[in-house]
Amino acid sequence: MFSLQAWIRERVPVGPEQLRELTNEPVPNHLKKWWWCLGGTPAYLFVVQIVTGILLAFYYKPAPQTAYESVRYITEEASFGWFIRGLHKWAATLMVAAVVLHQMRVYFTGAYRKPRELNWLVGMCLLLLTLVVGFTGYSLVYEQLSYWGATVGANITDSVPVVGVYMKQLLLGGEVYNDNTLSRFFILHAAVLPVTMAALIALHVTLIRLQGVTEFHFKDEDPKKAKFFNFFPEHLLTELSIGLVLMILLSVLATVLPAEMGPKADPLTTPEVIKPEWFFYVAFRWLKLFTGTLAVLSMGLVVFLMYAWPFIDAQIRKWRPNSEASVWIGIAGALAIIALTVWEASVAH
Amino acid sequence: MSLEFKRGVIAFLSALFLVSLIFVQWREVTRREAESGRSKAHISVPASSKACVDCHTQSTPGLVAHWEGSKHAERGVGCLECHQAQKGEIDGFDHYGLHIATVVTPNDCARCHAEIAGEFGGSHHAKAANILNSLDNLLAEVVEGHRGPIDPHSPTPGRAFTHANGMASVNTGCQQCHGSKVGLVSSDGGMLTVDDFKPGPDGVPTNLDAVAKVVKDQNGKPKFHSSTWPNTGIGRINLDGSLGSCSACHSRHDFSPRRARQPENCGKCHLGPDHPQKEIYEESKHGVAFRDLHAEMNLDGDSWVLGKDYTAAPTCASCHMSGNIRNGGRITHDPGERISWTNRPPVSLAMDTDLEHRVVTETDPEKRRALVADTWEAKRTRMQEVCSVCHSAEYVNNFYKQYDDFVVLFNEKFAKPGQKIMKALLDNGLRTKAEFDEEVEWTWYLLWHHEGRRARHGASMMAPDYAHWHGMFEVAERFYMELLPQVREMCAHAKEDGMAAEADNVLAVVDEILARPEHQWYERDVNELKAKRAAEQNAEKK
Amino acid sequence: MLAGLGASYGTAAVYATRYLYPARPRAKAWMYVARVADIAPGGSLNYTTPGGEKVAIARQAQSGTVDDFVALSSTCPHLGCQVHWESQNERFFCPCHNGTFDKSGKGTGGPPGDAGQSLPRYPLKSEGGLLYIEVPTESLEVADASPPRDGHDPCLGPHLGDGARV
Repeated sequence: MFSLQAWIRERVPVGPEQLRELTNEPVPNHLKKWWWCLGGTPAYLFVVQIVTGILLAFYYKPAPQTAYESVRYITEEASFGWFIRGLHKWAATLMVAAVVLHQMRVYFTGAYRKPRELNWLVGMCLLLLTLVVGFTGYSLVYEQLSYWGATVGANITDSVPVVGVYMKQLLLGGEVYNDNTLSRFFILHAAVLPVTMAALIALHVTLIRLQGVTEFHFKDEDPKKAKFFNFFPEHLLTELSIGLVLMILLSVLATVLPAEMGPKADPLTTPEVIKPEWFFYVAFRWLKLFTGTLAVLSMGLVVFLMYAWPFIDAQIRKWRPNSEASVWIGIAGALAIIALTVWEASVAH
Repeated sequence: MSLEFKRGVIAFLSALFLVSLIFVQWREVTRREAESGRSKAHISVPASSKACVDCHTQSTPGLVAHWEGSKHAERGVGCLECHQAQKGEIDGFDHYGLHIATVVTPNDCARCHAEIAGEFGGSHHAKAANILNSLDNLLAEVVEGHRGPIDPHSPTPGRAFTHANGMASVNTGCQQCHGSKVGLVSSDGGMLTVDDFKPGPDGVPTNLDAVAKVVKDQNGKPKFHSSTWPNTGIGRINLDGSLGSCSACHSRHDFSPRRARQPENCGKCHLGPDHPQKEIYEESKHGVAFRDLHAEMNLDGDSWVLGKDYTAAPTCASCHMSGNIRNGGRITHDPGERISWTNRPPVSLAMDTDLEHRVVTETDPEKRRALVADTWEAKRTRMQEVCSVCHSAEYVNNFYKQYDDFVVLFNEKFAKPGQKIMKALLDNGLRTKAEFDEEVEWTWYLLWHHEGRRARHGASMMAPDYAHWHGMFEVAERFYMELLPQVREMCAHAKEDGMAAEADNVLAVVDEILARPEHQWYERDVNELKAKRAAEQNAEKK
Repeated sequence: MLAGLGASYGTAAVYATRYLYPARPRAKAWMYVARVADIAPGGSLNYTTPGGEKVAIARQAQSGTVDDFVALSSTCPHLGCQVHWESQNERFFCPCHNGTFDKSGKGTGGPPGDAGQSLPRYPLKSEGGLLYIEVPTESLEVADASPPRDGHDPCLGPHLGDGARV
């Protein structure tokens, strides 16, 4: 045994000490409370998505003639196929929720402020990518709502001025949904976007490591107590617990509310009630409120403002150092999002 | 929170995760179990029929879909196995490299189902087309239609008919149940049937002159005469000389045993005013139980033996054809094997049959014994085996006593007297030989053919309303209120026309019948009244 | 703790493996071949499975039971290539490793000959005088090699219209 360690040591000249050094980031005390650990949750779910996604890709056939049948095969015939598909679907839903909650935590605690503006930008990219992955994944099932969701989505890009028409054609591989579209969505969903996300997550974590986790101080804290605790093993154990809770939650959701099969895509009949996944309800409602280019441009503006918020916030604080504006704007934004989502969810059209 | 505590929490959560995974496993197992019974049988198209299926999936998708639901499709019996024709068969034609025929006859089915085809061939069903020259045939051909084309007497706006088929009622009415004599179009404009082709035992025609006259389309396919095909009448007379059509009951192209087991299948023909067997069944306790317990009939079962595979209710097939635990599960395709009375003729006959399965009508006991191959008692025993799966011996025997009494009552009180009166009218020249040209002939026909059969069938299958109100009540009304008055009126007219002696002969027959105890009620009071009045008149005169 | 983690995630990994393993064995069915009486002793016929595989069925005795018959598969027992009949050499030949078999399917040369392997036989049974064979019903779709047909296109549907005459 010892000789094996030595053998490895000679070839990989990194010892347990260095590894410990590398991983043992000092973790601020507030992270002992699990509700401050939302940042790890999407990362964990991302891993779940990679694993279940690879499993699903073993049977999935990305062509209009075969896609629906292969999803049916996974759901109805392959052993545990329904479970793997259920995990993938519910992990996607939870991931969107976790990303949003994480972002709200960062926002309301002002963790995006100098010197962490760049990491906010990376995080914003990850949020958008998570949504796009959700959209492309939903389209792969090739049921009625997948098909019409993709069609509507592509036509929304169309209403972007000047470049929209080219973007749509690039996305669909043609002027309308055609034989090439599904394989495009598949490659985006299963290769391009996940790899990009993995790289961005690595960058996200590296930036955290370089700048350290934002510290919070609470009034009831004992000032003499240590302000940090070890990442390994204390924080790792917390993350493990969260991972297990997520797995239990996912298993139960996948079993009790399994992913089902809607009617197969029919390019000639649009269903009476057509809705995207719940996390697009906001955008969907917005599109109904403002039509065409105006809606797309206003949505683009909102996204731009979200990206630029650390810099806008800095200007506001330069002007009025004790301003609480960011909190009020955040609350207003969150309420608006919730209101639009609930509105869309409660009506048929 | 101590590290130890955290470890404990993780151990607990792991256990919980494991429990949720075990729940997942349980769901997987129950799902598999649920699916194992439900999954459809795998259909594989035999290579020899692959080309047929490929094309016909587009040209006749419903036909192929039906076949895909059949036992044949499960077991690799494709299109060619049934439709292939041997060289020389009159309706054979080349179809994309294969020699096939359109009409599948019992001879084709017999290639695999020889025993069944044999039973069916001996049955009354196979001879159902032998109604030619019967009263019913005369009705459809002459009374309802015309033996020859009908020339339009005025135009039909929008349609230009030069002439119509006078036998249309025969073709679509009689022959769709009884079977047509399948015919091909002849180059002289007529029709060529088995009578012209004179096929040998192998089904290949021997009369080549007739073969030369067959009209074919551009693909070499012989043209069927539209009046005879399509036809799935049970006694169809086929071009190869065989009798019958298996698809009469085993509908193509799924040949579903499930369907053949249900009364609706027989109800294509066995219903209506003259033989409402299906309605009678529906009125009976048997039919009521069937409708209620349909789901417990095991209708899809591979084996369908009464007493073993199902007991919920009997259908037509259960009693007349299918197997039961008392007969070792033996199925017969001759429904006559278990029937002890034939209620078809005016006077019911005991079902003693000869070697050819014909009812023996010989009256001399000695000669009769020599002719009978299968007695009515043997037939009744076979039916009683079915009954005894559910009913006790006394119950069954007493039912048969009730039934026999009913049939004999009808025979003796109305049928035989009616026959005798009708014969007297004919013998004495009071009616013509032509049927249906005199009112009394319609009256008599309705009496035995419609009402009399309804009554007897109602009694045979436990439908009280058909036995009585739709049956004997109407028989009696027809006899007393129509037949007898019409006969007396005919006699009165005959006397006026100088046929007094003949009329008296007929009236003597009537009087003899009415003097019988069962008819005395009819004119007793009237006669007494008449006698009283005559006596009073005599007294006045004096 | 470690045991718990190993057991739970391990179980999940087992499920994933089960998911990747084929859900069910290859589908097989008993297919009708011919009537027993149709094949004379000494005679044979070529049967094609629904997947297109050729099967040689020969009758070798006259007892009238299913034991009279052999159904030879064309799948080489060596490594699963398809053999074909070479009539000039009176043998089945496998192009993968030059395996040869005689008429009865016995290995005569190449790897199967050396190992004493014969061509595999399909199960047969007879019911009511009818011969059935158990063959796989699924295979990869092969391109339809049948030549284009002459005459009218049967897929255009039945020719209605000429029956409307009275």
